Amino acid sequence: MGRVAGKKLFSIMALCAMISLLLLPLAVSLPSLAIGADAPDAVKKEGEAKVEKGRDVYYKTEGIVVGAPAPKTVDGPKDYPRYNFESRVLLWFANQQHLYYGSFVLAVPIFCMVIEFMGMVTKDKAMAKRYDQLAYDFIKISLTAYSITAILGGILIFTFLTLYPAFFGYLSSIFRPVMHIYALMFVAESGTIYIYYYGWDKMKEGFLKWIHLSMSVVLNVIGTLLMFLANSWIGFMMSPAGVDEQGRFLGNIWHVIHTALWNPLNVHRILGNMAFGGGVVAAYAAYKFLASKTDEDRAHYDWMGYIAMALGVAFLIPLPFAGYWLMREVYAYRQQMGITLMGGLLAWLFIIQATMIGILFLSTNYYLWQALGRMRGAEKYQRYIKYLVFVLCIGFLVFITPHTIVMTPAELKAMGGQQHPVLGNYGVMSAKNGGINVIITTTILSFVWYMRGNKVSTVSWSKFGNIFMGIFFGCAYVNIIWLAIYGYYIPANVRVGLSVPQVATTLSCLFFMFALNGLMMKGAKQMGAIEWGKISVRSQYALIMLATAFTWMMGLMGYIRSSVRLFWHVNEIMRDNSPWAYTHTVGFAANMISFNVLFFWFSILFVFWLGSLGVKKAPVEAKAGVPGGAPQPVEGH
Amino acid sequence: MKALMSVGALIGVVGILLLAGMTVGIVPSNAVRLLEGYMPVQVILELTLFVAGFTGISYLMASMGMAFPRFWQGILMWAFILVYLKFRVYPPIPFSVRAMYGTVSLVAIFMWVSANEEDWKKFKQPIMNVLDAKTGGIRILRYAYLIILPLLIGGFSYNAMVPKSEEPIELRTVHPAPPASTKVHGKTYTLQTSQNPYRINLEGKYDQDYSNAMTVEQGMGRLMKPNANPWDKDAQGYLKYVREGGEIFYQNCHFCHGDNLNGRGLHAFAFNPIPANFTDPGTIAQLQETFIFWRVSKGGIGLPNEAGPWASVMPPWEQHLTVDEIWKVVLFEYWHTGYYPRTWD
Repeated sequence: MGRVAGKKLFSIMALCAMISLLLLPLAVSLPSLAIGADAPDAVKKEGEAKVEKGRDVYYKTEGIVVGAPAPKTVDGPKDYPRYNFESRVLLWFANQQHLYYGSFVLAVPIFCMVIEFMGMVTKDKAMAKRYDQLAYDFIKISLTAYSITAILGGILIFTFLTLYPAFFGYLSSIFRPVMHIYALMFVAESGTIYIYYYGWDKMKEGFLKWIHLSMSVVLNVIGTLLMFLANSWIGFMMSPAGVDEQGRFLGNIWHVIHTALWNPLNVHRILGNMAFGGGVVAAYAAYKFLASKTDEDRAHYDWMGYIAMALGVAFLIPLPFAGYWLMREVYAYRQQMGITLMGGLLAWLFIIQATMIGILFLSTNYYLWQALGRMRGAEKYQRYIKYLVFVLCIGFLVFITPHTIVMTPAELKAMGGQQHPVLGNYGVMSAKNGGINVIITTTILSFVWYMRGNKVSTVSWSKFGNIFMGIFFGCAYVNIIWLAIYGYYIPANVRVGLSVPQVATTLSCLFFMFALNGLMMKGAKQMGAIEWGKISVRSQYALIMLATAFTWMMGLMGYIRSSVRLFWHVNEIMRDNSPWAYTHTVGFAANMISFNVLFFWFSILFVFWLGSLGVKKAPVEAKAGVPGGAPQPVEGH
Repeated sequence: MKALMSVGALIGVVGILLLAGMTVGIVPSNAVRLLEGYMPVQVILELTLFVAGFTGISYLMASMGMAFPRFWQGILMWAFILVYLKFRVYPPIPFSVRAMYGTVSLVAIFMWVSANEEDWKKFKQPIMNVLDAKTGGIRILRYAYLIILPLLIGGFSYNAMVPKSEEPIELRTVHPAPPASTKVHGKTYTLQTSQNPYRINLEGKYDQDYSNAMTVEQGMGRLMKPNANPWDKDAQGYLKYVREGGEIFYQNCHFCHGDNLNGRGLHAFAFNPIPANFTDPGTIAQLQETFIFWRVSKGGIGLPNEAGPWASVMPPWEQHLTVDEIWKVVLFEYWHTGYYPRTWD
């Protein structure tokens, strides 16, 4: 009894420690903020008569100038010290690797939280243990990655300081308190993750388990705030606020953080991180599946891959909509920026991005169709897959059609002008919105088929339910396609608004059809068990493809977002006067992204290998609860 | 079911014959016309019909005991798509886009033939047969592949690498990002916020809804709306300015941009690319009026760096027209094409 009370006390103390860690940065930073607030007073004291005021370039409010103007850099060793190499590329590499690992270690604890919660609310004890072990496996993978993230962060800062001192000096002069909060939150994150990981065994049951779960919530709150703070820097670089035209800080730190693009960036990045994290864990499971020697291992990693894929895709589905919002805000902020991105200089990179998005959804669908093969009774759906392939393919073709076509002058002449009467129509947003929504709706349909693969509904209204679902999906396709066509006949500002009913249609399919399917399949007759591990190897390659496409797309989008500033360090405030203030060619960028992707995958393989060296492979209790000692996946999905 | 499949098969056979005719040049590509304005939907519908037709043919052949091997179904389906894109769609699709479509189609066919183990086995069987080479004939075939495949790959590689005298491919930016502001006749215009001073209602206030209601109607061709005839002598306000813009257009612009604004004017084909086609939904329909104002004022010579290779001979019209005349021409272009300028509210 005393021991249990002691553990409870320990757990509560641990949780309190975490919350204190969470609040610590805020408390410590208050003086920093206060110093920022004092600065105007200092100015006042020095010269009551002359208080210089400036106008916020974004918020248009007046504020007292408390910062120095953005430095006007000149090409030379003072502002741009360098090796005999393009500094920008070095920075690109350091930044990208840090971001990959950062995203991974921010996403995986969120998965752990979800899976641990699932394990806690599941009534089946064996299943609960398996979920728990899975969550533990996930956090174990992320722990080594966490250290690498910190190391890469250090490398990134040194790269900034040594190669771009003037720019980094300016940025840090404005974000001084934010950077301190960031650093302290990183300490809090580290403390929390270690307590969370090492406290797993000690807090495995009852109330203590809930405390443990609460720790994961705290951990994720810290992680998310960390990301938001980092986003404020890139948001400021793209759409500065809180400074005047010369780049002088006007004393309001919230304005500097809360720029025009901060919120859409936050939403887009958090969803992207989750999808990326799911992809990486799914690829890990696929790799372990392919390397497995026993059926038990194959079954476990098959299940693990499925869960990771499902979580990743759950965040992938809303991702295009978040991206759409971000682009809309970009256009609203600066028309030129939007056109450079989607219609001008960087438009072809967006076509590559569309291709990658298509690959993600195609891989997901393919995996689900393969997964039908491990269910007895799912054969009835397999004969219809060819129609889904056709619909997906058409949606994909429309989605990737470029507006700016690569062609020879002879082809241009043969085409009779820059605009093709067929391709030109597919190349604009109205058609593309239709294309991506068709793809997502089809993915939802594949999921519905998968979820009912080996089951037959026994509810009295099952026939009506099936007809209703069929009609619902049919109407959804008609609505999406009709709106895509209708978009050509209305003003552009109204057309942009059409994306709302299109997205609503797709999300209706997602929520209503999943809910209805769940109701229909409650107490359904099982036609056969899910034979975990008996999935084709092709499915595992699809998971690896999914993860690679995520990684490549993340690198690509990061490059696009960064290069849209063109020759500005801070858009319209601080000009890049280095010799590299030009936009790379599409080919160079693609090679560089590929190099970053390859480096990340080789290094993460090393992380996986390190993880496998761990003596303690799973919580003792979780292992003991599984017959035969080998992990067995659950029957449900 | 069989009757339905028979209809499908009939469609498939007719389609194949037509496409074969177009491929060898007996049947012109436009024998079955692609209807202007409906082409994109028509192409997708045609492809859907073809797929339905092939399903019908496959079903009928299987029911007659002559099931078509899955391997050849996949190969021929891909070949069909490539041929369709090359010989059916006109004007011709540039190679880069056909390559993208071809690759996606190949992936889709792989997904189809390997969606389940049974189909995948069926598809792989002929390949495995050749690799196993259990009979003498197949062994010869295997040797033939051993020689032919490297030669083909080598040939493609050589062809890709050999220096050619053709003009290089170009990635021409159709819509370069505009500047934040532009100076015309001494006055600076901020592109994001400026408005066409002639897009006004009868009370003289800027009113996009009013002008939108008076633009020509799109459909099978473009029709003037009743009571919205700029050439009516009593036309006032917006319509009067449209008429004035039209007069300026036909005095200056239509020689290149065409009397139907589709980029096919008298001199159009002296240039490559031909002038912009305003009736295409990818040109002025995507842009703010101020973008057009900037392009008309500054012409090809005023294109920014990112618009390389700057293949435009458009004169900087600010040297020939007044600011008011330029705004009126822009007004007319939107009116005539039936498109609405992009706005951000």
